[in-house]
Amino acid sequence: MTTVEMEPSSPAPAPHRESVASVKWARRKEVAGQVLSNPLTVVGFVIIALFLLMAIFAPALTEANEPDPYQSPRDWSNIDAPPGEGGHVLGTDSTGGDVLYGVIWGSRLSLQLSLTVVVSTLVFGTIVGSIAAMRGGRVDNFLMRIVDVFLAIPELIFALAIAAVLGPSFRNIILALAVVFWVKYARIIRGEIIRVKQSEYVAAARVIGDSPWNIYRKDVLPNSITPLVVQATLDMGNVVLIGAALSYIGLAQAGLTEWGAMVSAGQSGLLAGQWWVSTFAGLAILLWALAFNLVGDGLRDALDPKTEGR
Amino acid sequence: MTAHATLGPMSSADDGNIVMALKDVVVHYPVKEGVLQRVVDFVRAVDGVSLTIPRGQTLGLVGESGCGKTTLGKVIAGLVPATSGEIWFNVTRQDLDELDRLQRSVPGELSKVERERLGQLQSKHRLGGMAKEAHRRYRRNCQVVFQDAFASLNPRQLVRDIVGRPLRVYHEVSGKDLDRQVVDLLDQVGLGAQHLLRYPHQFSGGQRQRISIARALALNPEFIVLDEPTSALDVSVQAQILNLLADLQKERNLTYLFITHDLGVVQHMADTIAVMYLGRIAETGPTAAVFNDPLHPYTRVLRESNPSLDGDSDRDDGWRLSGAVPSPVDPPRGCRLHPRCPVAADECGWQIDDVLHHLEEYNPGLFDSIGRVDRRDDFSAKVDMTSPEQACQLRDAVTELPAHAALAEPIHVDGSVVQMTFKPVSDVEVMEVRPGRLTSCVRAQQTGMSPSIAARPEIKSTEGMSHASNSDT
Amino acid sequence: MSDWLLKVDDLSVRFSGSKGVTHAVDGVSFEVSPGETLALVGETGCGKSVTARAIMRLVPEPPGIYESGSILLRSSDGSTVDIALADQDDVRRIRGDRISLIFQDPGKALNPSLTIGRQVAEVFGEHRLGMIFEAAGLDASKAGRVPRRIVQQRAGVVSKTGYGIIHRSAARRLRRAVDDAVAGALAETGIPNPRKIMSSYPHELSGGMKQRVMIAQALACDPDLLIADEPTTALDVTIQARILELIGEMQERRRMAIIYITHDLSLVREFTHRVAVMYAGRIVETGPSLDVLANPQHPYTQGLLASIPRSGTARGQLSAIPGSVPQLISPPPQCHFAERCPWAAPVCHKLSPVLTEIEPGRAVSCWRFHRNDLVADEMPEPASEWVTQG
Repeated sequence: MTTVEMEPSSPAPAPHRESVASVKWARRKEVAGQVLSNPLTVVGFVIIALFLLMAIFAPALTEANEPDPYQSPRDWSNIDAPPGEGGHVLGTDSTGGDVLYGVIWGSRLSLQLSLTVVVSTLVFGTIVGSIAAMRGGRVDNFLMRIVDVFLAIPELIFALAIAAVLGPSFRNIILALAVVFWVKYARIIRGEIIRVKQSEYVAAARVIGDSPWNIYRKDVLPNSITPLVVQATLDMGNVVLIGAALSYIGLAQAGLTEWGAMVSAGQSGLLAGQWWVSTFAGLAILLWALAFNLVGDGLRDALDPKTEGR
Repeated sequence: MTAHATLGPMSSADDGNIVMALKDVVVHYPVKEGVLQRVVDFVRAVDGVSLTIPRGQTLGLVGESGCGKTTLGKVIAGLVPATSGEIWFNVTRQDLDELDRLQRSVPGELSKVERERLGQLQSKHRLGGMAKEAHRRYRRNCQVVFQDAFASLNPRQLVRDIVGRPLRVYHEVSGKDLDRQVVDLLDQVGLGAQHLLRYPHQFSGGQRQRISIARALALNPEFIVLDEPTSALDVSVQAQILNLLADLQKERNLTYLFITHDLGVVQHMADTIAVMYLGRIAETGPTAAVFNDPLHPYTRVLRESNPSLDGDSDRDDGWRLSGAVPSPVDPPRGCRLHPRCPVAADECGWQIDDVLHHLEEYNPGLFDSIGRVDRRDDFSAKVDMTSPEQACQLRDAVTELPAHAALAEPIHVDGSVVQMTFKPVSDVEVMEVRPGRLTSCVRAQQTGMSPSIAARPEIKSTEGMSHASNSDT
Repeated sequence: MSDWLLKVDDLSVRFSGSKGVTHAVDGVSFEVSPGETLALVGETGCGKSVTARAIMRLVPEPPGIYESGSILLRSSDGSTVDIALADQDDVRRIRGDRISLIFQDPGKALNPSLTIGRQVAEVFGEHRLGMIFEAAGLDASKAGRVPRRIVQQRAGVVSKTGYGIIHRSAARRLRRAVDDAVAGALAETGIPNPRKIMSSYPHELSGGMKQRVMIAQALACDPDLLIADEPTTALDVTIQARILELIGEMQERRRMAIIYITHDLSLVREFTHRVAVMYAGRIVETGPSLDVLANPQHPYTQGLLASIPRSGTARGQLSAIPGSVPQLISPPPQCHFAERCPWAAPVCHKLSPVLTEIEPGRAVSCWRFHRNDLVADEMPEPASEWVTQG
């Protein structure tokens, strides 16, 4: 490292060859470089990007169906058509619904589902977990017992129960998953905050006399958030998986262009040799979940505290 | 009452101003058990410490692991609340004397003026009782430098934000002025403007410690607690940092509390020194005097155990501790060192537990044959053995121990029950034995001198058990 | 010294990494004789720990590379084996049996989920099976897999296997033999109540006690050479004194050679016979400990000694070596200390000096001592004392 030498004193503040922004950008680039050094992670990113494009440009790719774009346009003259027949690239299902249309518009639903659930649970879980960890004592105990109760129930079953009670609809699936998933984040951030609270830089901030809110904002939160980011990324994939499972069971509206529903709809045709409906929808689910898992793993490796920053 | 002896040389630099005064500070951590988290016991991390630190001086706080020096540092820095006791900040010697007088009298006897005076002193100077403005002043003037420089710097913040943070918190400056002040601080610790926009992980250990020091200096404090600031550094880097600290102290008339376990460093850096053991002060006094003529056996053992580069290898081999450090949950009565002390005498506070612990370590067969211990108090008990022969063996075993001289009456054996009563002893206080020299060693307090091994009471040595000796830890 | 036990000759160990090749150990040579303690002294990054591990072939072999040099271990019959070239089986046989290693943090070196007794017994099970079987009155050559396992897993653990039930008394004797061996090893290190310790777990013991256990484990097989890597750095000073005394006693009893790795020069003075000072992967000075510390010849040694705080030095006046240790990634061929040395001459920046003897038993690696080989005006006049820089 640099030797200890006195710089010739300059009257004005030393000219910044770099600014704060450029230094922070350099750091972010460094981290990004580490994340992208794993080829699998890059693959995951690419797949996600493709899905994102598909979702955003859905109306451009296929004409939106009226009145409800999330119902496949029915081509009654070509039911159960295999891929390539009658202008249907991926075939049609038993009601003439275009499979390609379903996959493309289904990506919108998947995006909606995962983003809504993950963002809302992340925020809510962080708030609850932070309160528990920063307050400690009885508040912590009380909140964590609630979390324990939630965690004791398997995610799928819990979501199923809620969705079944509320009635079959896509919105209720979102709600059910949100209710189930938030506890995970609460627990993670609580653990991280408790660890960070004991570090010396937090003690140093207290000695300086900074307010608890500032300490939370500047010292505690930034250093606790990494595992949450990783988990959130993984959950973007998991939510769609479980959501697909729920709509497969029938908890979504009938005929919805949701991948899980499509798998269910095409199931009866499988034995008859009509593989394309379930397969393409299932493939979409698989790729989505896979992509997010790859990215999540890549993030975890790169952001591991042991290797992070050093 | 503990004495407020003047520590440190009475030089002209001494304007009678005491930066920190501790009176009987106690820090007990509760030990909780069970579903309902009931408090079952306490870890007595700091158990009654009184100290004064005059302005411009360095007080070295030494001791081994578990002695409480780190906890004491945290209490002084305001990170941990004291369970009891008082910490006074920035008082004069006259104030202290006055406080002593006021607090010694019964509350009902104080006149209204006196009570007001007491309240006034408290709101200005007493930690925990300060008015808001005084507390702000205390916070600004008392800073800390931690041991692990890497852990004490937020890894996600730039140096500029780390060092400038105290200034931000107190809304001193902002923007370009802030940057300028931070660069100025970095200059003072031997770094430069080029380090402003870097992250902690980009620096070496010595540089990180400099950043930590720069941060501590940001608010122009009067007093800095240095908690093992160089223990994690190489010797050559340590020299740079110690020089820096010494220069800063001279330039700014800083007062330091220097916590360390390294005797070489503390001898070099501290004007006065306080030696801690198991939560209490063993000895305090001017550094050179304490090392050349220790008034407490623990200090003596520390000195003898410390390898040195200088040629004084005429060591006294008898100065060693036996056994291991007792748990701070249940420390020994009387003088805390007595179960391990090479020169412990009968007035040092022997108790039933000492006998039991000794048996457990050195005579496990006999220990296992103890049926029941019926304790009247810490000093007196009836021990139920499994047979009368065992009871006689126990009696014989105890006569081998140095503890036997502390028996209030001869051991009484009745069948298989052994009745032991030791002379009850109260916990030892720290007393001024010579001007400026305080110690908690009972023997030194009595004779005014350091106890020597030769003067140890005669132990009847027979075959059988070996008493507490060189087998240890 | 012609009765050396271990001779390291021009050893170089490199590490290949993403940023380049690090010359962690660079042409290091030294010898240790039976009954002698050699200190390997240096600050962080000087290569002393890597050297220690290299001697036992504990350096992971990618990314580490044993670039050159030899590590010769001599047996009582005069034969030598080069550890750097030996195959893994031979090395495993040497480890624990002929060379042992104790670490800095005993807490980390002990398995927290096994009892002490079982961990120490592992050593006997690995290297001293013959002795145990003999003590139990069994024929080692006829013993099957199960009796071996009993020995290896012993102390505090009752293993009821088929063997244990069929050959009840043999199993019992085996267990007793192991327990006695373990208790004996523990007692030899001054642990007062070995049987109780044997059934305890590491977290129940104090630091000093754990270190004694580690010593017991290391010395269980009576090694010829003990490598102690900062064994007392994590301990309090009062405990440290006891542990070092213990090591000294055991050395005397067994005529063991010890390589003592430390950064603490005062320990070197009190507990070692000879010292080798390392800097940036190289040895810069060797000699008898007292001599080197009283009359350091290499500028780095001088600087190091001058920067140690002692009661005599005025505050703020500690001599500090300016600058910091250079990076060892593909370093240029020169004296690595040249940038920080007050006597550096042009030649110091161009050529690496070699460790050369200046008197019998004393060697230094510095161009100051090669003046005859150089043009007169290339070398400055050597000062006799370290001068504070800047």
